Amino acid sequence: MLQYSYRPHFPATSRKQTDVDQSWIDYLPITERPPIAWPGGARLAVMICPNILYYEFMPPPDPWINPWARMTPDVMMYGRQEFGSRVGFWRLVDILDKHGLPCTAVLNVAALSKFPDVCAALVERQWDILGHGMYNTRFICGYNEDEERAYYRDMLRTVRDLTGVEMKGMGGPGPQAATERTPDLLAEAGFLYYADFFHDDQPFPIRVKSGRLISMPYSVEINDVPVLATAYEADEFVTIVRRQFDRLYAEGGRVMCITIHPAVIGQAQRAKYVDLALQYLRSFPDVWFASGRDITEHYMAHCYDAVVERIRTWPWTAR
Amino acid sequence: MSDRDQVYYDNVVIVRRPPLAWPGGHRVAFSIVVCAEYYELHPPDDAFIPPNVPGGFGRAPYPDVRAFSQREYGNRVGIFRVIEALDRYHIRPTVAADACIAAGYPYLIDQFQRRNWEIAAHGYSLTRVISNKMTEEQEREYIGNSLNAVERASGVKPGGWHGPEYGESERTPAILAELGVKYVLDWPNDEQPYLMNTPSGSMVSIPMALELDDVVIHYHRRVSLARWRQAISEALDQLQTDGVAAGRHLVLNVHPWLIGHPHRIGYLEEALADVCRRGNVWMATAGEIAAFYRSQQSSG
Repeated sequence: MLQYSYRPHFPATSRKQTDVDQSWIDYLPITERPPIAWPGGARLAVMICPNILYYEFMPPPDPWINPWARMTPDVMMYGRQEFGSRVGFWRLVDILDKHGLPCTAVLNVAALSKFPDVCAALVERQWDILGHGMYNTRFICGYNEDEERAYYRDMLRTVRDLTGVEMKGMGGPGPQAATERTPDLLAEAGFLYYADFFHDDQPFPIRVKSGRLISMPYSVEINDVPVLATAYEADEFVTIVRRQFDRLYAEGGRVMCITIHPAVIGQAQRAKYVDLALQYLRSFPDVWFASGRDITEHYMAHCYDAVVERIRTWPWTAR
Repeated sequence: MSDRDQVYYDNVVIVRRPPLAWPGGHRVAFSIVVCAEYYELHPPDDAFIPPNVPGGFGRAPYPDVRAFSQREYGNRVGIFRVIEALDRYHIRPTVAADACIAAGYPYLIDQFQRRNWEIAAHGYSLTRVISNKMTEEQEREYIGNSLNAVERASGVKPGGWHGPEYGESERTPAILAELGVKYVLDWPNDEQPYLMNTPSGSMVSIPMALELDDVVIHYHRRVSLARWRQAISEALDQLQTDGVAAGRHLVLNVHPWLIGHPHRIGYLEEALADVCRRGNVWMATAGEIAAFYRSQQSSG
């Protein structure tokens, strides 16, 4: 269904980076890296990411992205999204509780105040929180350095105050919103993982001016939104989950991210398929169900330095 | 003529051509084209990119990390699953490598060459597509630079061309022929090769099966890959039937950023197993098909 549209003549955003696009990430193909050994000898890390989104009824105008591509307000699309926190989330929480797996909430931070019950549910279950901006209807494309810095500070403080969680991950908000300073400012603010690079099955170091930041394999593939946006129904989602799992489990040392949206797969006719998918994953031994924070901590402690060293000594690295 | 039709080849329908016989009497020639592509974070402001180029959530303001990184998955991870699948079935594909891949990913070029894969040129990048918006001079320089990048990286002058997003201007075939290209993959209008005649000489056109292109059927049309795999089988059945009278070909275009994902690669493996099980199929690179077709024309 028509959600976002980019405005056809959006203003140019700042482009200070003049060297090649590889300036954020080095090229070291997955076959050439030191193998990752997950805790307990697990073959695969599985990260489950329920999205908790907040779409404003009447968002402020944005010169880059139109969040309500049909009309503003759009009560149909607004209602469809809001269903997620009002109903779908609670159905999914029951299923996730039954399986008792750690989750990483991809969170529009403003949702914590609008739906205090959702906030309390996150706190009670000790989910990790991956920041997804304040609102899914406000974007940061045109922010200058100070505005962007303040934006992260505000997000971090709000999450800390309302949940006690010290957030370590960030991606988004919305469909595509970043500046060319985003990785540096995230690292400076204390974030450790960034979920907007869809380039890999493993975490990977991002080059930043200070601190350390890794890309986390967030999924636009094992994701109910693109799957159910078209002709498929939720049984196909289970098929995709199973096929993804089978392959990655056989290969070993990778991350499988499963992205679900309460507004979409929390619908009455769909939620049971989340249950089926999780049942399937849990029928295998040696699977590490982990949060974004868990995976990041393990990677930083055991993998980051080895990968950086491998980049340095790999004969094909561009110099 | 009042309409401005293409001027490069004759309008001879498939039932009015001299019979085409593939080497070994095979009924069908089968070839895989693997696109090795780069999506620039900041293409030049005047670069043409069609509105429906897949990646991310549509074209976004710079830095469009999502669209870039969705493509980059192919170069970092997906290509190696494609390599493994092709190795398993002993299939040598034609890689269509753009200039950014040729210049920036020497490791990949080396992996292709170790396997004796053919490398065709594929423009500069996915984010700079040829169209009538280019001047003739710009287009000649663009194509020349793309060919040179592949030659510099591989040591071999590429014989084949596939424009990013099948993009061409009205002039493209003439410029390709002028620059020594032997065959082009952009015109999906046939099941046999045919000759293109340009003021700069002739060239073979090898039409690909556009409706079976993984991006077209799965990314754009959202047909499931289980159905894709079945459709490939159905196409081969039909071509083997039609191929009794005269040879046909099936050239399958795949993209590692899409087909190389864990949940998708198995469908390519099944399709390859199906092709390999069949008799009467000549497994060839696009360059081998073009060279054979060309040899038949001059000897016939």
